[in-house]
Amino acid sequence: MNRLSSRLQEALERWGVLIAFAILFAISSFKQGFDFVNPENFRALLNSNAPVGILAVGMTLVIVSGGIDLSVGSMVVLAAALGTTAMNAQIAGESSELNAVLIGGAVTIAAGIAAGCINGALIVFGRIAPFIATLGGLAAFRSMSLAIADAGEIRSQSATLFSALGRGGIPIPGLENAAGKPLTISFSTVIFLVVAVVAQWFLSRARFGRHLIAVGANETAARYSGLSISWIRFRVYAIMGLLAGIAALVQSSRMNSVSTSQLGLGSELDAIAAVVIGGTSLQGGFGRVWGTVVGVLILGMITNMLTISGVSPYWQGAIKGAVIVLAVLVQRPSRS
Amino acid sequence: MENRAVILGTRAVTVDYPGVRALDAVTLDFRAGEIHAIVGENGAGKSTLMKVISGAMRPTEGELELAGHSANFAQPSEAIAAGIAMVHQELNLVPTLTVEENIALGREPTGVLGIAVDHRAQRAQARELLALLGSACETGELVSSLSIGQAQCVEIAKCLARDARVLIFDEPTAVLGEQEAARLFVQLRRLRDEGRAVIFISHHLDEVVTIADRVSVLRDGQLVESFARDQSGSLRDARGRSVDAGRLAAAMVGRELGSLFPNKGAAIGGQPAIELIDFGARGISQGISLSVSSGEIVGIAGLVGSGRSETAQAIVGLRPQAGRILLAGSAVRFESAGAAMRAGLAYVSEDRKGSGLHLSLSSIANVTLPSLDAYTSRGGLHVDSNAERATTNRWIDTLGIRCARPDSPIALLSGGNQQKIALARWLETNPKVLIIDEPTRGVDVGAKAEIYQIIAQLARDGLACIVISSDLPELIGLAHRVVVMRGGRVVGGASREQLALRNCEERIMRIASGLSAELEACA
Repeated sequence: MNRLSSRLQEALERWGVLIAFAILFAISSFKQGFDFVNPENFRALLNSNAPVGILAVGMTLVIVSGGIDLSVGSMVVLAAALGTTAMNAQIAGESSELNAVLIGGAVTIAAGIAAGCINGALIVFGRIAPFIATLGGLAAFRSMSLAIADAGEIRSQSATLFSALGRGGIPIPGLENAAGKPLTISFSTVIFLVVAVVAQWFLSRARFGRHLIAVGANETAARYSGLSISWIRFRVYAIMGLLAGIAALVQSSRMNSVSTSQLGLGSELDAIAAVVIGGTSLQGGFGRVWGTVVGVLILGMITNMLTISGVSPYWQGAIKGAVIVLAVLVQRPSRS
Repeated sequence: MENRAVILGTRAVTVDYPGVRALDAVTLDFRAGEIHAIVGENGAGKSTLMKVISGAMRPTEGELELAGHSANFAQPSEAIAAGIAMVHQELNLVPTLTVEENIALGREPTGVLGIAVDHRAQRAQARELLALLGSACETGELVSSLSIGQAQCVEIAKCLARDARVLIFDEPTAVLGEQEAARLFVQLRRLRDEGRAVIFISHHLDEVVTIADRVSVLRDGQLVESFARDQSGSLRDARGRSVDAGRLAAAMVGRELGSLFPNKGAAIGGQPAIELIDFGARGISQGISLSVSSGEIVGIAGLVGSGRSETAQAIVGLRPQAGRILLAGSAVRFESAGAAMRAGLAYVSEDRKGSGLHLSLSSIANVTLPSLDAYTSRGGLHVDSNAERATTNRWIDTLGIRCARPDSPIALLSGGNQQKIALARWLETNPKVLIIDEPTRGVDVGAKAEIYQIIAQLARDGLACIVISSDLPELIGLAHRVVVMRGGRVVGGASREQLALRNCEERIMRIASGLSAELEACA
């Protein structure tokens, strides 16, 4: 009896997030009147959650290393604001649209990396606790974006190309949606999945991933083992910045504009929630990117279902909060 | 001796784990006014027995007997309420509260309204209990500023504040220096003379022989032998023969241990592998000159706080250093453990849990962490997990590591097996100089002998070994020569010939504790 329940507990810890996802997915497909496993359902879910998903993947790495990054949402808006401004300047300066989009994109990514490096430098060289350093970033990066646009919106001046990047996709042969058109998988979804696969690879197969786990599990023992703790920790925040830049590109191209007061607002909490639901330990030293991806989809699905069922948005936060706490309760390691 | 009242007894207590019988019908009496030592190898069932007694676990069969009535505790709180208290190895004190607040924690005396803490009563109680234990620490001091020995004393006072009649000490001296341990023994005797039952668990058999009134030996979950102290004050077995530490060790492992220590063999008098010149850990130790040749085992003795570990950490770049290091004749200086490792230096830390190992990670991840580059290709993108597994399995075979699966977390392994993993972790980096800090702390007798064999073999294979230990018989049995540190300096030493003399241990102890001054050329 005891043995069975401990087995069950173990299975729940490992696969609970997938089981929860399957149940929610079935309910949600049913509610929307589609067939049980409609690819269109899945496509829409992935597409709408790609930006926060990219952030959550980076957050997984940061949390595995024993840190936290509260500034991701603000990094997104700052990178998007700078990138779009640069792109508009290029278009106004009569360079070709392609050049402008390329330069704007490069500025977005570079701004993300730079913001991440600032976080990393504060944490590693300034010896500031990650929570505090990135809390500073949360306020500062948002404020800088508001200042750039007077708290307003920055509209992209690219006529077609930029939004084609955000809204376009690759048609999948052989699959059609309800309207009979070929099912396309959006560029943002492709980016999200590629980022997730690469990150999972890093975590389970690459040297850097092993180092992140070692630092998160026991920083002192990692230092005694000859690892360069500073360099490892700096890099993980820089990578988080890079992913925030990519998420910014996905978001701003999709909207074809940047709302400096709204874009990325609260993303850090969604990203952390997804990581936790996915079974990564907030204490560091253990994590799984695939769990985070499922966590992102679970959060997205809940929001969807609540909206469709006409639940007031004011109540949605409470329900999401309950799901997060429940996920942690179910997955918490059994007391020994 | 048998007329003392039994406060607590176990009655045919049996505990089954999946696939293992951890305790097999153990019946024991714990009497008022008696220090009762429980000894046994790791895995013999000591911890399980203590878990049953302290309410952390229910026996599969059998029961406890409390003052003549049968009892089983469902939770630790029930055991505490019944007057059974455990003094944990990791002290359960709140470092940011004061001594008196810690002692009263959870049962603070309050004023008339039952809201405000009656500080005067709280202080009076703390003073009374600390005086009983003969402790001089201030009741208003923060626990974080206490030494480990003082903190342990506060922990004991905390148990007494809960009217503990039975006190369980699990490896209490493992974290203490020689003097603090002596002070603890005074306290244990006071508790005994007060009429309490003291249960004492230790790997240090000498301590057990010194302090215990009764010794029970567990082996593979069974009670195999008991010894009691007679009127004349010496510990005797059932046939009335006097019992020493060697006899206890034999009972624990169930056979006569051959010599614990391997044959020393000749130290190869080759070129010095490492030379320290006027070296020190900045701010902690200074003026240390020492050279160690390949094939030589040099012991470093000294009390806790003499700067031994810190000096070793400075050698491998974990602390700021002063002075010079010559490695195979050329001057080196390391900024990190990584740089030292690449130059062929390895440091096995004394603190496996805190700085030596990653307990939550697998054997594989632990063994290959410092040498991971050797398994990595394509610029770090690929770690060859098959090669890692093969290496780990090879070490498991060579060092005789007993672990179920190499990819399970090592937290559940015994101290001896964890120590072997730590050795494997560093031997895999192919060091030329190996520094081992407290190689057998928290390791049982059987694994101890194996670890000594391993170190001796490494030296025969040409490794220069520096062994830091607070266990003097260990240094004397293992090392070719010993240097003694005190207050951050080398204050004496013993050559190979001197180590063979009978009074050597006492001599080293006197030097280490500053009782006799001696400065002789030993480097």
